[in-house]
Amino acid sequence: MKICQVEKPLVSTNRIPGFEHKHLLVVRDGSTRQVAVDAVGCIPGDWVICVGSSAAREAAGSKEYPSDLTIVGIIDHWDEGA
Amino acid sequence: MEIKQVVGSLVCTQRIPGLRHADLRVLADPTGRKVVATDPVGARVGNWVYVVSGSAARYAMGDAGYLTDLTIGGIIDFWDAPEAAAAAPREAATPAQAA
Repeated sequence: MKICQVEKPLVSTNRIPGFEHKHLLVVRDGSTRQVAVDAVGCIPGDWVICVGSSAAREAAGSKEYPSDLTIVGIIDHWDEGA
Repeated sequence: MEIKQVVGSLVCTQRIPGLRHADLRVLADPTGRKVVATDPVGARVGNWVYVVSGSAARYAMGDAGYLTDLTIGGIIDFWDAPEAAAAAPREAATPAQAA
């Protein structure tokens, strides 16, 4: 699992049907930016935990959901410098 | 999912049956590294897209029978290109050939 910070929502009207209407967010892991499916409901600035691989599909709702990065939790507090 | 820009289309007639008739696009990330992805949405050159990788890429094609490891999940409506995009000079809106 990765610790990421939510940067902003991502608007994508033209998407594959498999993504349904789930919220997509741009998250930052260090300097790299990625897009994650939001399974918990977070806002820009939140530190979150993201899962990858097949766990990402199941965490987003079903085994067939085509996600490779899903937000599974919002971190209440952690030591960023550690 | 990673964010990439479409830089071209790709024609590939001799392919394995598992790739079926999927449209292929050449994508570049901000560092200029090029990759090929299957495209179920019909992205054009210049579009910024997000791509699904790994086994989820097969489900993203709508049928896990497609043998791909990178699929375009959707076109990003608004994206301010970060640090001078990699991609070759944008051959303005040359519509990627359909199908």
